[in-house]
Amino acid sequence: MSRRQMLRHGSIFCGALLTGCTSETFVPPHVRSGLIGVADVLTMSTNRFLLSRQQLAREFQPHDIAKDFPMWGQTNPPDEEYQRLLRGGFKEWRLPVTGLVEAPRSLSLEDIKRLPARSQITAHVCEQGWSAIAQWTGPPLQEVLQATGGVKSNARYVVFHTVDGWYESIDMFDVFHPQTILAYNLNGNDLPVGNGAPLRLRVERQCGYKNVKFLKSIEVVDSLKSFGDGRGSISADYGFHWFAGV
Amino acid sequence: MVRIFSKQWIKLHSYNVRICHWINVIASGYLLISGIHIFLDFPELYWGHTGYQGYPAIFKLSDWGISWDDAGALGDRMWGRNYHITFAWVFLINGFVYVVWNIWTGHFRDRMIPQRNEISIEKLQTAVQSQLSLTGPKRHAPDNYGILQKLSYVLLIFVFTPFMILTGIAQSPGFTAAIPSLLDLFGGRQSARSLHTIGTIFLVLFVVVHVLEVVTAGAWNKIRAMVTGNLALQRDKE
Repeated sequence: MSRRQMLRHGSIFCGALLTGCTSETFVPPHVRSGLIGVADVLTMSTNRFLLSRQQLAREFQPHDIAKDFPMWGQTNPPDEEYQRLLRGGFKEWRLPVTGLVEAPRSLSLEDIKRLPARSQITAHVCEQGWSAIAQWTGPPLQEVLQATGGVKSNARYVVFHTVDGWYESIDMFDVFHPQTILAYNLNGNDLPVGNGAPLRLRVERQCGYKNVKFLKSIEVVDSLKSFGDGRGSISADYGFHWFAGV
Repeated sequence: MVRIFSKQWIKLHSYNVRICHWINVIASGYLLISGIHIFLDFPELYWGHTGYQGYPAIFKLSDWGISWDDAGALGDRMWGRNYHITFAWVFLINGFVYVVWNIWTGHFRDRMIPQRNEISIEKLQTAVQSQLSLTGPKRHAPDNYGILQKLSYVLLIFVFTPFMILTGIAQSPGFTAAIPSLLDLFGGRQSARSLHTIGTIFLVLFVVVHVLEVVTAGAWNKIRAMVTGNLALQRDKE
């Protein structure tokens, strides 16, 4: 993303703050009907308003790290192609970055590890109730997008596809947050299979279900309508709120 | 000699109090039920920032005869989360309207905040004694709250409700990024979750006592007063 694009996104955001809830920064891509939809918009816009300085989620000390980070949900996708890549130590694994980027390309794990990385000790907060502190390392998502020439000016969401057939999305507000990283390392070791090897998303200001594991490809888009039921993620199609900040 | 009963009506509750009261009943009911659903899907409590299945817990529902899987089958956290967050907004906005309105009209100052002459050890003792002997005479006039009533309402509205709201949002990764002091205030997300649950038990106890008080003070008359605003006073005439 060029400096001009950054300014552009900045001005869109400031404009949205001044003019009220007109931007996708404050309103989820799909607003549910009835009182729940009203609450969704209130929750997201309040949260985004309070986070308008793009604050970081709390970062902890090494001694806070939980001994056994839970392995929850999918812990080893039965997908044949995935199992083959796993046996080969993910040397042949590739992450296609496509859609509204200037220079779409597929990145190898080595490519991703060569990008400037960020390490952060944060609390993973599961919407189900558990939480655990761990250290995650990987390039910020904006570095990955930079490696593909930056996003085009009409980009609004980034969609993540996973090996087990899930998809999830975040908006530009979270895409350009410094703590939004693609983690290949957990607590100093390669990301274990149970935690989403070889690469998973970290969106620290949202609940666990946004932080999808087993990344397969990334797509930059201007609309989420063509994915699944058009609500922006599998969990939202299923009935959870797309915005997982609460 | 014939005893004649004549009814005399007094205006007890304003429109605002009545409307907010019943919206609050609905919102609190949904909050309780949806909160139970959320809890059942992860029926353990921990202290600090970290807590997960297998981590030292301060409370396990399985110790009380309901296994993890049984609890999970009872709880629907998706429904629970959707409705908990929705009715948290209803509760919050309704409560905000109620508080601002009643500060503005002087209702809090005139009827809810204990007067200086009401607060003394002897008066509190008398009030507690007459409260405990359910048949004993209530010392306060029917159009005014008793000292214990005043104290419990003020604590509920200005101490307990903010506590529940704060322990609620202290569990949110978005809100704690914006207001990190919430994490320090309660000692972590799991502590906030545990305190929120313990607070719920106190709230349920408050409602039980509140309903018992209404029943002993004449359920029909009291509930009617919360709907129509008017309380009937019965007076014996010779």
